[in-house]
Amino acid sequence: MLTIQNLHVSVEGCPILQGLNLEVKAGEVHALMGPNGAGKSTLAAVLAGKEGYEITEGEVLFEGRDISELSPEERSHAGIFLAFQYPVEIPGVSMIQFLRAALNAHRAAKQQEPLDTAELMALLREKAALLKLDPAFLSRSVNEGFSGGERKRAEIFQMAVLEPKLCILDETDSGLDIDALKIVSDAVNALRSPTRAFLLITHYYRLLQYIRPDVVHILVEGRIMRSGGPELAVELEEKGYEALLSTA
Amino acid sequence: MEMLKSPALTLEEGAAHLTRLLQEQVALANLPPNLRVQWDKWVQEANLQTLFWEQRHKEDWKYTPMDFLRFPWDVGLARRVSPPFSIPSVLPYAEEVDGVEKDLPALRSLPVPSSPWEALLGGTSSAHHYYIRKEGSLIFSVRGEGGVVPYLLTLSLAPHSVGEVWLFPSTEALMLLRFHLHVGQGACLKLFFPSYANEAQGYLYTILSAHLEREASLETYDLSTSREWRRTEVKVYLKEAGAKVYLHGAAYVDSKTTWDQAIRVEHGAPHTESNQLFKSLVRAGGRSIFQGRIYVHRDAQKTNAYQSHKALLWEKNATAYSRPQLEIFADDVRCTHGVTTGFLQGEMLTYLRTRGIPLEDARKILASAFLAEVIEKVPYEILHTEMYKVISSCLSSPAELSR
Ligand SMILES: Nc1ncnc2c1ncn2[C@@H]1O[C@H](COP(=O)(O)OP(=O)(O)O)[C@@H](O)[C@H]1O
Ligand SMILES: [Mg+2]
Repeated sequence: MLTIQNLHVSVEGCPILQGLNLEVKAGEVHALMGPNGAGKSTLAAVLAGKEGYEITEGEVLFEGRDISELSPEERSHAGIFLAFQYPVEIPGVSMIQFLRAALNAHRAAKQQEPLDTAELMALLREKAALLKLDPAFLSRSVNEGFSGGERKRAEIFQMAVLEPKLCILDETDSGLDIDALKIVSDAVNALRSPTRAFLLITHYYRLLQYIRPDVVHILVEGRIMRSGGPELAVELEEKGYEALLSTA
Repeated sequence: MEMLKSPALTLEEGAAHLTRLLQEQVALANLPPNLRVQWDKWVQEANLQTLFWEQRHKEDWKYTPMDFLRFPWDVGLARRVSPPFSIPSVLPYAEEVDGVEKDLPALRSLPVPSSPWEALLGGTSSAHHYYIRKEGSLIFSVRGEGGVVPYLLTLSLAPHSVGEVWLFPSTEALMLLRFHLHVGQGACLKLFFPSYANEAQGYLYTILSAHLEREASLETYDLSTSREWRRTEVKVYLKEAGAKVYLHGAAYVDSKTTWDQAIRVEHGAPHTESNQLFKSLVRAGGRSIFQGRIYVHRDAQKTNAYQSHKALLWEKNATAYSRPQLEIFADDVRCTHGVTTGFLQGEMLTYLRTRGIPLEDARKILASAFLAEVIEKVPYEILHTEMYKVISSCLSSPAELSR
């Protein structure tokens, strides 16, 4: 589904990703771990199409197609979703208004009619329940005044609504208490399917106890230094980055 | 209008011409005898010097283009027109009264002019005085045609009465509207001042003053999407304890449009409260001017005064001036103010786009959202929908280049 080859990315002329390779197949869950500043969010941003990231070398293929020239909305229509590490507040735009626009844009891209209000509300209520979000939250402005945990849950809620093919979760687990972590993990596990893939960016082994990854990668200084099965995360938890990488 | 297309006068010539024209129009007979002397003095003194030169150097005209002085105006015609939509108010019409015969509160509190403009506007022959005894609404829907139309309105609210004002002045030329309100003890007044994009590009200059007695309250909602040159001066005097004023403004400032707010809220008594909440979205070639002054008298302790103006520049070449001014002479006062000017945040746009919302739609959503903070405070839904409709359709077209 996702093939990244020798990816080099610079931000403001400063090289961040330096020859990253990654292959994610449909149905798989990949965990991407690494110390602060390793370039994890940079990779997520490049995949989602945020501006300001320059691909200086290498390529990113999504379902065989080079996505580097696609706008963020086109990537979204293609099935890429990024749950942000720091979702922004959008005062004055309600969650309903926001998701109506998003869903209908997705539908328009597929030559489908827009949803009517009843269908929309039924869908939103169903997914809100999945994330144990109070229905009143649908009327609130996007992320405005949300607690850290609410924001993260709202990101996964949006993911559940849009049903993307490739779900990228950027440190969705940080700042979540154990109950919220369980809710989020349950929702993610419920979304797992043979046609969908996940890239979980995380610092902590904790999340991976709830969402079992197929592959674990360790990203350091813009390059994947090691990849392995779930046991790699256990090893990392025990040894820490430095010891782990020096024994490699 | 042909006339508007062919500037013919210098600013000085235009000011002199307009002064003479208005002086001829003045009919002080519409004012109570005790006021006539003072007003007459101002009117007599209104000459080029006071009307133009002093004005031009006054701080609160500093950013305002005065091109309306460039035209050889003639006296125009005021025509009553039906409002742009049916008014949702359920209140009966306010009663029109002969101001000179009756002892009206609004005429007693009508301030002595602070500029020759005010004197010339206030002394006009088109003067109408209204009174609300218990409850009532005043709907002013007048179109100025063919030249200068000066208009004087006063409205007096009896103690504990409830009122609404709907102002729909429009003009293809130059309209000068002087409106004074007197809100009696415990009375409540809501004023709606919506204006919508139309073909004509006229000049509308409004001076709105209000005098609030004990526990009186005034809310104003100025919603503008018009293409005019629109200057509104608001002067509110919170004369007695417990008086409250809430001023709201939301503007879509199109290319070639001037939206100019000069506001002065004066706290003259303790335990008074004021809040100014203004937002403007400015297109390339448009100009938004906000000058808000809060003046707190020495004995106006326990006063709350708030002010906020935010301008969103939609394109490069959009202009916004914001100037908060605080003059506080009491020490036990809560006062906050904030002004911001900036472009749409790329972060927000990206967020919407990563969810699949196309760029242009995302921009429109954020435009409406920016003004929503003010629009959603308007108590009538119809005013929201009209405003959103215009914003959405106007944003679909590229900004016209400025003249
Ligand atoms: N917008 C930016 N401008 C400049 N430097 C950036 C920007 N974004 C990230 N960086 C830098 O890139 C490096 C990687 O950052 P990031 O991808 O956020 O790391 P991680 O998510 O792994 O903690 C850091 O050194 C960071 O300072
Ligand atoms: Mg990060």
